[in-house]
Amino acid sequence: MRLLSPLSWLISPAALFALWAVLANAGLFPANLLVPPLEVWHSFTDLLATGELQEHLSGSLSRLALGFVGGALGGLAFGTALALSNTVEAYCAPLFHTLRQVPSIALIPMFVLLFGVDETFKIVIVAKTAFFPVALATCEGVRAIPRSHFEVAAVYRLHWTTLVGRIALPAAVPAIVTGVRVALTRAWVVLVACELLAADSGLGQMIEMGRQMLRIDVVMVGVVITGVIGFTLDFALRRVERRLSGWQSR
Amino acid sequence: MNAIAHALPTTATHGALTLRGLSKAYALKGKPMQVLKDIELNIQPGEFVSIVGASGCGKSTLLRLIVGLDQDYHGQILLDQQPVRGPGLERGIVFQDHRLFPWMTLQQNIALALKNHTMPATHKDRLVAEHIELVGLSGYEHAYPHQLSGGMAQRAAIARALVNKPKVLLLDEPLGALDALTRVRLQQELQRIWVQERCTVIMVTHDIEEALYLGDRVIVMDAHPGRIREDLHIDLPHPRERDSAVLHAYKQRLLGELVGH
Amino acid sequence: MKLHNIRGLVLPLLLLGAWEYASRQDAAGAYAFVPLAQVGSAWVELLGSGELLINLWASLVRTCTGLAVGIVGGIGLGALMALSAPANRLIAPLFHALRQVPILGWIPLIALWLGNGESAKLLIVSLAALYPMVLNTFESLRQVEGQHREAARVLMLSRTQQLRLILLPAALPGIAAGVLQALAFAWVTSVGSELFLSSGAGLGSLMMTAEAGARMEIIVVCVLCIGLCGYLMSWLCTLLSRRLLRWRPTR
Repeated sequence: MRLLSPLSWLISPAALFALWAVLANAGLFPANLLVPPLEVWHSFTDLLATGELQEHLSGSLSRLALGFVGGALGGLAFGTALALSNTVEAYCAPLFHTLRQVPSIALIPMFVLLFGVDETFKIVIVAKTAFFPVALATCEGVRAIPRSHFEVAAVYRLHWTTLVGRIALPAAVPAIVTGVRVALTRAWVVLVACELLAADSGLGQMIEMGRQMLRIDVVMVGVVITGVIGFTLDFALRRVERRLSGWQSR
Repeated sequence: MNAIAHALPTTATHGALTLRGLSKAYALKGKPMQVLKDIELNIQPGEFVSIVGASGCGKSTLLRLIVGLDQDYHGQILLDQQPVRGPGLERGIVFQDHRLFPWMTLQQNIALALKNHTMPATHKDRLVAEHIELVGLSGYEHAYPHQLSGGMAQRAAIARALVNKPKVLLLDEPLGALDALTRVRLQQELQRIWVQERCTVIMVTHDIEEALYLGDRVIVMDAHPGRIREDLHIDLPHPRERDSAVLHAYKQRLLGELVGH
Repeated sequence: MKLHNIRGLVLPLLLLGAWEYASRQDAAGAYAFVPLAQVGSAWVELLGSGELLINLWASLVRTCTGLAVGIVGGIGLGALMALSAPANRLIAPLFHALRQVPILGWIPLIALWLGNGESAKLLIVSLAALYPMVLNTFESLRQVEGQHREAARVLMLSRTQQLRLILLPAALPGIAAGVLQALAFAWVTSVGSELFLSSGAGLGSLMMTAEAGARMEIIVVCVLCIGLCGYLMSWLCTLLSRRLLRWRPTR
């Protein structure tokens, strides 16, 4: 049993996989409900070969990048302002916290009416989804910097660039990175959801076409890839997080 | 309250603890670290034994072995000639942090100790009430632990440990987390409670005064590896005067030994 | 204090003013930014015809049912994984692998298998509530301090007693946090699933219909409803958990 221990975590995924293969090949379910894993793999390689997959992926990812960068930068700026300025807080905080409650998904119909079904509405929604978590995390991260840090900087008469660059930012960065991570994973989900509903290209649209044509293999390829990308983004940012917060006592 | 505890024939026939050749070692990065080595101890029923020693002498480990939380050791632990295996209700323990369960009231915490006893509920209620009164916490039955001060919580922990009339009560630095004034007060409480209950008590402490004030015997332990260096019998009646010359002399001697090296 | 509160209202009022202004610009403006008066009348109309309440009720019922299923299943599964190492070894890898796919990503698959109806939506909402419940239950049970476990052992409590009287109450704060999260997820997913599987009642379906008919004012009403209800439910949940957890130290 000792030898098997490290491998035992493979048991259930492998079992599920085997079950899937057996059931699909036994033909118990009609082809549009369950296709064998092999067919899904074939569809995957086909899509790769025709370049269709790459096209959809690049479409999705570019939208994600554009919207996310815009939203995150805005969130960073706004969050910092919110934390540091009482005026900003007085004027903007109530509205901010109210708007934060509205889920992005619920805004899809509204944005479609406002911006049409082109690129704009997706990028705007992604930006919105990214903005709020980043702004919140930045605000809390900056607020959490102990006063004592600033006082020490004053005692040693440090220049404000040193203060921001070597003290304030590193102190707030762990919280900010966590916010960015949450924002990115949420933004990805929302983007695929948008594309499911209204798009002419992109991973979500590929999934939706697959669904309408009852091609479950295409749907599965799409869903798996969505998951893989989400996981990779999350994983990569967690590594960054860990690296940057090494100094924190856990 | 002038009862001279020693002069009274102790009716307690239960609670005789015997430790024979008790040893325990940890493996630290491959090398064995001897925490306890060849502890030999015979404790009479109804005795109050204090154990003092510097950090690392294994005194807390000793208590954990006796109460049964740790069963990995060499040697023998016998309670009334029966070997000890794992925890049991005949041995109660009070930890340094009271370890009351925060989601239960005082009363519920103490009643928990009687959970698996087969006695009628009214009997249980009466026992719980008696012990709450014993430790002087009447009126706080429905308070939650976070509403109690440190001293009160510790008294509640003592009540919980005593409620099923254990043969042996183990105290692991029970007053260590309390401020000096509360500590003095609780030492007197502890003495009063023990005189009333008369079970065997083993108390681990790093406070020499406390050990001398409360104990019939004071066992001094050495560290690395933990072993018994001295076994003092304090022939003073309870309740004791804190500033008795005898105690003072003992204290000076022990301090010299423990700190002088 | 008074001045502070008023300042918070300035921006929203400005925005509302800008909205109203844009709606009066031209026909295109009125299409996108419907005049506030129209929103108001749509609100009254929807309430009067009962349409709003019917759809709201459908969304709420689905959220609560899915939440209940998710909570029960989540606590059960999380507890199983926390208490039994073999079960953990078996279930955890599968759970974490499947967790990577966002809930809304499962919708097309589930739609293919279960169709567009209520059962598909309920399954999705339950799944959305399940994930945070399992995670929070698992973590909370795992992290019950060794101190409590030892104290329970010394008091000679049986395994079931330990679970019921010690482990679960100790994990309750974490589990309550999980419920709050699960509630938020369930609510958003409930509305979201209605956007995609637009048969049946619900605020999302109402919005999709309004979108098709370019009735922005109905959409605005729905969005306000969604935000408001979500907030109210979270607030209620927080109150409830504070009541249940009143034994917690106030520090």
